[in-house]
Amino acid sequence: MKVLVAVKRVIDYNVKVRVKPDNTGVDLANVKMAMNPFCEIAVEEAVRLKEKGIASEIVAVTIGPKVSQEQLRTALALGADRAIQVETDDEVQSLDAAKMLKAVVDKEEPNLVIMGKQSIDTDNNQTGQMLAQLAGMPQGTFASEVEVEGEKVKVTREIDGGLLTVSLNLPAVVTTDLRLNEPRYASLPNIMKAKKKPLETVSPADLGVEAAPRLKTLKVEEPQPRQPGIKVESVEELVDKLKNEAKVI
Amino acid sequence: MSSTGTAFDPQTLESLLTDGGKVLTAPDDLASYGCDWTRIYEPAPIAVVLPKSTEEVQAIVRFANEQHMALVPSGGRTGLSAGAVAANGELVVAFDRMNQILDFNASDRIVQCQAGVVTEQLQNFAEEQDLYYPVDFASAGSSQLGGNLSTNAGGIKVIRYGMSRDWVAGLKVVTGSGEILELNRGLEKNNTGYDLRQLFIGGEGTLGFITEATMKLTRQPTGLTVMVLGLNDLTNTMDVLQAFRNKLDLTAYEFFSHEAIQHVQQHAEVQSPFETEAPYYALLEFEAISDGVLEEAMGIFEQCVESGWVLDGVISQSEAQAEKLWQLRERISESIAPRTPYKNDLSVRVSRVPEFLQEIDSVVQKEYPDFEIVWFGHIGDGNLHLNILKPEDMEKAEFFRRCETVNDLVFGIVERYEGSVSAEHGVGMVKKKYLGYTKSEAEIAVMKGIKRVFDPNGIMNPGKLIDSE
Ligand SMILES: Cc1cc2nc3c(=O)[nH]c(=O)nc-3n(C[C@H](O)[C@H](O)[C@H](O)COP(=O)(O)OP(=O)(O)OC[C@H]3O[C@@H](n4cnc5c(N)ncnc54)[C@H](O)[C@@H]3O)c2cc1C
Ligand SMILES: Cc1cc2nc3c(=O)[nH]c(=O)nc-3n(C[C@H](O)[C@H](O)[C@H](O)COP(=O)(O)OP(=O)(O)OC[C@H]3O[C@@H](n4cnc5c(N)ncnc54)[C@H](O)[C@@H]3O)c2cc1C
Repeated sequence: MKVLVAVKRVIDYNVKVRVKPDNTGVDLANVKMAMNPFCEIAVEEAVRLKEKGIASEIVAVTIGPKVSQEQLRTALALGADRAIQVETDDEVQSLDAAKMLKAVVDKEEPNLVIMGKQSIDTDNNQTGQMLAQLAGMPQGTFASEVEVEGEKVKVTREIDGGLLTVSLNLPAVVTTDLRLNEPRYASLPNIMKAKKKPLETVSPADLGVEAAPRLKTLKVEEPQPRQPGIKVESVEELVDKLKNEAKVI
Repeated sequence: MSSTGTAFDPQTLESLLTDGGKVLTAPDDLASYGCDWTRIYEPAPIAVVLPKSTEEVQAIVRFANEQHMALVPSGGRTGLSAGAVAANGELVVAFDRMNQILDFNASDRIVQCQAGVVTEQLQNFAEEQDLYYPVDFASAGSSQLGGNLSTNAGGIKVIRYGMSRDWVAGLKVVTGSGEILELNRGLEKNNTGYDLRQLFIGGEGTLGFITEATMKLTRQPTGLTVMVLGLNDLTNTMDVLQAFRNKLDLTAYEFFSHEAIQHVQQHAEVQSPFETEAPYYALLEFEAISDGVLEEAMGIFEQCVESGWVLDGVISQSEAQAEKLWQLRERISESIAPRTPYKNDLSVRVSRVPEFLQEIDSVVQKEYPDFEIVWFGHIGDGNLHLNILKPEDMEKAEFFRRCETVNDLVFGIVERYEGSVSAEHGVGMVKKKYLGYTKSEAEIAVMKGIKRVFDPNGIMNPGKLIDSE
């Protein structure tokens, strides 16, 4: 079975993001970039399927500028067999990303597509769903457990107050939630080997898709700074403040 | 000297605190403020005083001189040598209420702090200014600058940035005789005779109190990248260090044994770096400022594998991963703390580490066959932490007695290698009787002379570091 995994290059999760002074976006100059954490989980799940003998080939795909090859190399080091880069310097919004992925799906014909439930830069949580619709595949989103059984995949989803298990016909799209697995580190010997694995570059035009942003960012603002805590002298004072200032009791 | 003379009256003391300082006498406070991270001595202070200003500290010192009271300076009490322990009715002087950052000068890149500023508070402040305070270790969230400087704390970045001492541009102190001294006033260059600042750094509160410190900051490192390598053998740690150091500026080079990782993983959810099980591990860190640097690091890794020194390895792909890998090292101390470890903090010159390690290892295996040993340390600085864990069913007193019988053997080796019995934790009470393995009698006599000048009545942290006589 062939698995396609989508990975995205985003601001490193640990970096303290700074808003540009003109409020048009966040400052990306000299900021550390890394693979989107949910995509790491997607890669890990694909590798585990391969280790179990279920997946036979893992293809990693990314859409982005030339440097996003770094994230593909990481995916290859983690266990993907080959990689496809859709190279573009333009802004790619969810729907365009889904269209490009659909074109890759048409070409590669994977049995399973695994991707993150959202990317931590724009937090849209929609590319997987859009791809499923465009490709006419069933979707299992927010997966915390994935089990392939013959021609079906069973996906356990985390929902408010419980778990929902769905069974999908393959080929299908699965998007990953945080608790699906704990991604491994890329080992140095595998990073070396990854350099020799095939990485193919295509353009959006090759895929017959033209990026056309439909949303315009009007303004990006810092969240309100949190009020510093205070120390109270007595339990009475605490109760008084909770009652009369915070009004929570 | 313990507190004697006229009966101690907390109210008299409190009346001297005109800037809002406080005196605590509740049993809970006495128990918690009376000891540090070591759990060897029973805390028994007479009271705890929390001054708000240098002037209040001076008033306390004058009061103590009049009353013949012993004072114990207390910071974050994360010390590992029982330096901040009050077990004999002393008055604890704690700096929790002197925790303000007073001034920052961007062009001088210096920041003036009260002694009670927590290490992490200074690190965060520096980061807000787009700068960096590089002294760091696992206890940075609790330890205070006053304690860091009084033990000249080292930590995980010494290989690149040096010890706490290297970041001090000035100190304000109150001597044991009650004098306020402004030492060095933030100057980079100041050749006007004895640099008294240096005596208070590493002085373990035996000369007086540090009440303010003016600290230097530096530029932030960029692209910090972490590798964890599995090693075949203890001595390979130094081969690997040499190989990397010849070509890269490392910002850290740490080492730990497989047992150390096992303790961390029993204590917390921390992921193994790789599947291959190795007896020892090295964690190294560098600034990957370009792809060239990364390529270089990969090349050295390959060379280390070909030489048979390294079994496997990982490299962080993000800052989040770098932080996770650091947990393997940073959480060792807390994970073994419940086992009442007997800690040795040894150092020798880096070139002598391999032979030294082998000798210590064979002595330890021979003398402690029934004890569990956990090795880790800042090995890039020639600094090793040898931790002996107490068997669950052994009494504490019996355990420490047995550990001490082996100390003379271990420290005998340290002396032969011209090493130190305390690389970065200080001497306090725990290592006092072993000071002679590292310092000569003549040196210790001079230290005692210096102590008499600053603290003529011997009220400052008596029983720690050296005996005043
Ligand atoms: C988990 C853990 C990890 C550690 N890792 C390291 C490490 O990697 N490297 C390292 O060097 N150390 C390490 N330490 C020990 C280290 O010495 C302390 O963390 C720290 O530097 C001590 O600061 P503190 O404020 O807690 O001092 P305390 O323990 O409160 O005091 C230490 C000494 O300084 C004196 N003192 C405190 N404040 C003042 C003052 N204002 N004026 C005069 N004297 C004062 C005390 O009397 C005592 O003698 C570690 C400790 C722990 C618990
Ligand atoms: C042209 C010129 C340029 C200079 N530029 C600089 C500069 O850029 N930066 C700078 O810092 N200085 C500079 N200096 C001054 C500097 O202090 C000296 O050049 C040098 O450091 C002193 O070394 P010396 O051996 O000549 O010492 P001396 O002049 O012989 O002695 C200096 C002091 O050290 C003592 N002393 C000497 N030897 C010993 C010993 N073995 N043990 C104990 N005490 C000892 C002496 O008693 C005296 O107090 C310059 C001087 C000149 C003439």
